Amino acid sequence: MEVQGTVPESHPPKFTLPVDTEHKATEFRLFSVAAPHMRAFHLAWVSFFSCFVSTFAAPPLLPIIRDNLNLTSTDIGNAGIAAVSGAVFARLAMGTACDLFGPRLASASLILLTTPAVYFTSIASSPVSFLLVRFFTGFSIATFVSTQFWMSSMFSAPVVGTANGVAGGWGNLGGGATQLIMPIVFGLIRHTGADNFTAWRIAFFIPALFQTLSAFAVLIFGQDLPDGNFRGLQKSGDKPKDKFSLVFYHGITNYRGWILALTYGYCFGVELAVDNIIAEYFYDRFNLKLHTAGMIAASFGLANVISRPGGGIISDVVAKRFGMRGRLWTLWVVQTLGGVFCIILGQVGSLSASIAVMIAFSLFVQAACGLTFGVVPFISRRSLGVISGMTGGGGNVGAVLTQLIFFKGSKYSKETGITLMGVMIICCTLPICLIYFPQWGGMFCGPSDKQTEEDYYMSEWSSTEKEKGLHHASLKFADNSRSEKGRRVKAAALPTDESSPTQV
Amino acid sequence: MAARGLLLASFLLFSCFAETYGMISFSSLPRTLVVTASHRQGLLKADEDKITVIWGLNQSFPAGTDSAYTTIKVKLCYAPISQVDRAWRKTVDHLSKDKTCQFKIVSRPYSNTNQTFQWTIECDVPTATYFVRAYAFNAEDHEVAYGQNTDAKKTTNLFEIQAITGRHVSLDIASVCFSAFSIVALMGFFFAEKRKGRKAQQ
Repeated sequence: MEVQGTVPESHPPKFTLPVDTEHKATEFRLFSVAAPHMRAFHLAWVSFFSCFVSTFAAPPLLPIIRDNLNLTSTDIGNAGIAAVSGAVFARLAMGTACDLFGPRLASASLILLTTPAVYFTSIASSPVSFLLVRFFTGFSIATFVSTQFWMSSMFSAPVVGTANGVAGGWGNLGGGATQLIMPIVFGLIRHTGADNFTAWRIAFFIPALFQTLSAFAVLIFGQDLPDGNFRGLQKSGDKPKDKFSLVFYHGITNYRGWILALTYGYCFGVELAVDNIIAEYFYDRFNLKLHTAGMIAASFGLANVISRPGGGIISDVVAKRFGMRGRLWTLWVVQTLGGVFCIILGQVGSLSASIAVMIAFSLFVQAACGLTFGVVPFISRRSLGVISGMTGGGGNVGAVLTQLIFFKGSKYSKETGITLMGVMIICCTLPICLIYFPQWGGMFCGPSDKQTEEDYYMSEWSSTEKEKGLHHASLKFADNSRSEKGRRVKAAALPTDESSPTQV
Repeated sequence: MAARGLLLASFLLFSCFAETYGMISFSSLPRTLVVTASHRQGLLKADEDKITVIWGLNQSFPAGTDSAYTTIKVKLCYAPISQVDRAWRKTVDHLSKDKTCQFKIVSRPYSNTNQTFQWTIECDVPTATYFVRAYAFNAEDHEVAYGQNTDAKKTTNLFEIQAITGRHVSLDIASVCFSAFSIVALMGFFFAEKRKGRKAQQ
């Protein structure tokens, strides 16, 4: 992609990676830690990973915790729902905070504010206190939004899906890794002579410390944008400060954000619900040992190492040829197939078939998550954080709803619940057909000839704001997003010829 | 007498069949052992209080009933009230899947005379209501008989145990200190950022 080179400005910063006019990287080099782009990537995924480890640290140790705190199945179910429900609003709030204060401060603040909940898990003494610590710890997975926002700010259109997918996927990995980490830590502590009921408490200090240290790393080594931090750029006038009410308004009035919030609930939300129930499902249906069931459960979460990034990469690859329409079609196909495998999972009766179907299900459902965040960065430029927050929050709403409808109490057996969940995935994925970008088209309709990328992104700014020059960043983004037209139209859209007249 | 003998023989035969199919069911076991558990009054504390268990063959059974008994395992079992809404403590007839008795008190080779054992309640015993059951095993390590200190409906002679909390003062202090440190560190960072911003402006 030779679309851009560095545009010389008053203080031309040198970047290790090739960048576009907004100084976002146009390449994604996984094994580099070059500041600011790849460093931001590694800080983002590691801190998000630590939050997932903390939020799902309790499930693998439940056999011990439930005896120590005298929990019933209902208490455990409620705590599981509480763990994912806190983040519903936290994700939306996080999105707004990112738009206003920048992802670095927003995510580090949230992480440090929720760390006490993890430390206090060590001193929980009743079902109520257990539910409360799981509820507040769950807020930390709102850092998903800051991760995606940060990646969307650091990486350009051709690689934004990949960056978002890898960062999100490797963070989600924490939910699977914790099922292996916590029992090992617990075992080591018990080996030193502690009682069961003390060892699990000490074990929780590990995720808590990891979380604290990752937040420090973000604050010390991280940077909001390729050119610097929000505060610094706002003070020097390079980044105008925006108004919360307008950012929020432009986010929630964009119908595409709501559609993706719904569909994300049926890929990511389903993933969270399955994280909570899959170990028990295998344990009960196939009479496995708890240890074995736990390992199978872990493999569901561990598939994230390739599946979600895979979704992001596929989104970018498809966009090169087919643009935004390709991204939307691929998302719909992959998520629907995820629903199909979910239906099959509830129906198969043998252990090996179940494991195989579960792995296929995890690959498709997690890839759909990656594909979703290949579309999100393009829905709004001004309110990127709010849209990310809505989508992310929608994911958690899906998790809460799915667990409430299909997996609470004994209304449905787990197998029936899983099958019905698959049907719901297919139904709730259909609204993707309704997403339409005037400048790029939708699944069934082509683009309108009269609308350009500038028209779409400038519609978020009023004429007074444009007079003040607040819209320049959006203008640059519109220019850089022309690749979403796909290959056929690329020849007619050379940006060096079509530079916008308002480029002062 | 002969009828009892016949009944017993058929029980034993049944349990033989059950073990050849690998699924011994609790309802097939004869209750030939007498078990009593004594302890101090009130709520028992794990890691502190002791339970004295006495078990032996019910002498009203004919001689030869215990010919197959090789080992006796005495276990601590959950009373029905502590199994409510807790599927991991469920009572199931097939003994290999039964989760009623999860704590071993003692295991001894079978002896004709009454046996006693004083057990200090271990520290991983959770807060619940319990009774005591003894299983008799044969040489193939299959259950062949049992006895318990409560009635068939598990309503009498139950006792409550309170678990250790697992908490220690040092853990409490560490939790509070680390939490406070996180919050203070965050405020420190904000303060430092503001100062940097003010300095840059000057």
